[in-house]
Amino acid sequence: MCASCGFPAAPGHWTEAGAATAPDRIRERFRRAQILRRVLKGTGLTVHDGGLVPGIQLSTLTGAQTIVPHLEQLWIEAERMTGTPFDPLDPKFLTSDV
Amino acid sequence: MSKVPDGRIRLTILGGYLGSGKTTWLRHQLHEKRFGRVHVIVNEAAEIPVDDALLGAADGLTVLAGGCVCCAAQDSLRRTLRQLCDDRSKISDPSSRIARIVLETSGLADPAAIATMIQTDPMLVRQIVIAQIIVAADALHIIAQLRHERLGRAQIEAADDIVLTKTDAARHDDLSRLVATLRSLNPGATLTATAFGSQVALPPPAPDVPPLPVPDLSGADPRPIIPCRLDLGAVPDWTAFTVWLSALLHVHGVRIMRVKGVVVTPAGRLLLQTVRKTVQSPEVLPDRATATDTDNQIVLIGRGLHPPDLRQSLCHFTTSP
Repeated sequence: MCASCGFPAAPGHWTEAGAATAPDRIRERFRRAQILRRVLKGTGLTVHDGGLVPGIQLSTLTGAQTIVPHLEQLWIEAERMTGTPFDPLDPKFLTSDV
Repeated sequence: MSKVPDGRIRLTILGGYLGSGKTTWLRHQLHEKRFGRVHVIVNEAAEIPVDDALLGAADGLTVLAGGCVCCAAQDSLRRTLRQLCDDRSKISDPSSRIARIVLETSGLADPAAIATMIQTDPMLVRQIVIAQIIVAADALHIIAQLRHERLGRAQIEAADDIVLTKTDAARHDDLSRLVATLRSLNPGATLTATAFGSQVALPPPAPDVPPLPVPDLSGADPRPIIPCRLDLGAVPDWTAFTVWLSALLHVHGVRIMRVKGVVVTPAGRLLLQTVRKTVQSPEVLPDRATATDTDNQIVLIGRGLHPPDLRQSLCHFTTSP
């Protein structure tokens, strides 16, 4: 655990279990940010993960910013910042044109 | 990094309503050495323990009396589990360590609350993996409990394995109706029938037997429970899948009772399982030479799921434009 920020408190979040080596881990972090940016398009939220500091940086169009430790917390923060939960079963994700 | 299974203790939670035959069943399993080297924790909501006298065959036994460990006496369970992990780590020879803990809950416990407690405890989450939730269901009284008790329903819905007890005392056609009812409430669980703790044959499945109508107790959600199988493809994208699943559980976690499946990733074969909103840190399973049919298949069980929508939505997350 990092003594200054306390991350990670648990043995890695379950969402990060898919990568076992350091190169895999950093690659998956970049890809995760990419995927998040794509699916969050239209919500006013942007995601940045430079790979240097632990956590995912989440910001709104108005400049509000926060760092979350993992995806579970990200969705909680996203709901708080935009006022609506991000729903993967939203009709825009149910059309067949990808 | 090696892909060996982690050294966490496997925890089996044995639940079931008051008087559903948990202890009788467990006693028989201990006698048959089903669990190997095992430490048994028995919880009694009442002040005076009685069950411990029946469970002499265990390698170790702890009795937690006076309060249910899923709510009122959660701290005593936390202390006991920490102590067990501590004692175990002092033994250097892996073969003489206990491999499994069986927790027999009180009849009033919700297994999902215990799973959440372990996941949120920073020490226990590294040491213990919940292997299985077994729920005993009394063949004579379970229908009444399912009709009137929200708790009885929650227990059945949280189960991986449902053990029907006292089947010798139930009539045969009652039993097949009961089986149909339990299957409709928790389509993902395996069902076994027992009498006096030993296994007996289930009545053959009768497709024409309708499940008994069970009134809705949650008030808000009358939709049926539907299992949904998702195929993640030959080379699953774990990152995209978890982005999707974590968002789905954030919004719909209340109505998704279970997610279970094995996903092959560069880090090994990961066994993913959830109980309601609680997700365990995935267990790394031993490698297989060839992928089995069940690899990369995820089963979601929840109220009012619409499988085509789930697949379509997942597709949006996993396909890069």
